[in-house]
Amino acid sequence: MTQTPPYPRILAIAPSTRGFGFVVLEGLALLVDWGSKPTDGKNKNIQAQAKAKALITRYQPSVIVLQNTALENSRRSQRVKRLIEQIAKMAQAHHVTVQLFTHDELKEALLPGGKGTKHELAAIIAQRFPDDLGPQLPSKRRPWESEHSRMDIFYAAALALMPRLKRATRKVQAKA
Amino acid sequence: MASSQLPNYLLSNRKRLSLSQTDVAFLLGAQDGAKVSRYERFAREPSLETALALEVIYQRPVSELFGGLYQKVEKEVGERAKVGAPKAAQTPSNLKNARRAQIFINLANKSFITS
Repeated sequence: MTQTPPYPRILAIAPSTRGFGFVVLEGLALLVDWGSKPTDGKNKNIQAQAKAKALITRYQPSVIVLQNTALENSRRSQRVKRLIEQIAKMAQAHHVTVQLFTHDELKEALLPGGKGTKHELAAIIAQRFPDDLGPQLPSKRRPWESEHSRMDIFYAAALALMPRLKRATRKVQAKA
Repeated sequence: MASSQLPNYLLSNRKRLSLSQTDVAFLLGAQDGAKVSRYERFAREPSLETALALEVIYQRPVSELFGGLYQKVEKEVGERAKVGAPKAAQTPSNLKNARRAQIFINLANKSFITS
């Protein structure tokens, strides 16, 4: 017997220098879609916004989850901070509630003792979704290597879990 | 706020099995992945035969793969059953008609007895 999911469909977006990772989560633990949307060259934010809009149109999420970079100690670049604000505004225009969580909140909610690396966070996410994301987990980064592009997907998955785990530090209601 | 289900969950099932659209197209007997892409983008519904082939490939029942569509059909059948239930209840009382009436009631109430 099918049932309407009792939880909202969540779209989580994790921008980075390469584009963004995203996850669509339905119900308690059903990953509906996940992946990376690359951007390059000029106008990365315009490219990213177009791709985010396509995801919103396709999946009609009830909630979009993004990283809260409004705090002064956020180390994200100005471009990524602007992109997050732009995606939040676009989500509002599509009548989607936006929830934002800081990096520290993610760590506190998901990592033992609230401490650990991004790879350790990704490993916990891979355990949570072993069939979907387990095979995607990159090997641990060596000091001379750049972060693997797939790490954005795991960060997005961590963001997607946050509405269940914690109240948002900022919640932007959809416009009526 | 709860969401209704998506028309289908073909993409997530394909990704879970690490299959490409070309792989699935081949297994469906299609020339390329374009059809698979259309199904996954909710642009087109597959035929019954293709839906059953997808059940074979993804090892998930059709009703689960096409959750949103199944939800819609279930609701429509339930509404028609509500309309038909009173009439079914008015038929002469015997075991066969009682079972028939009960089926209508169960469909109207979104439950189904198999025995």
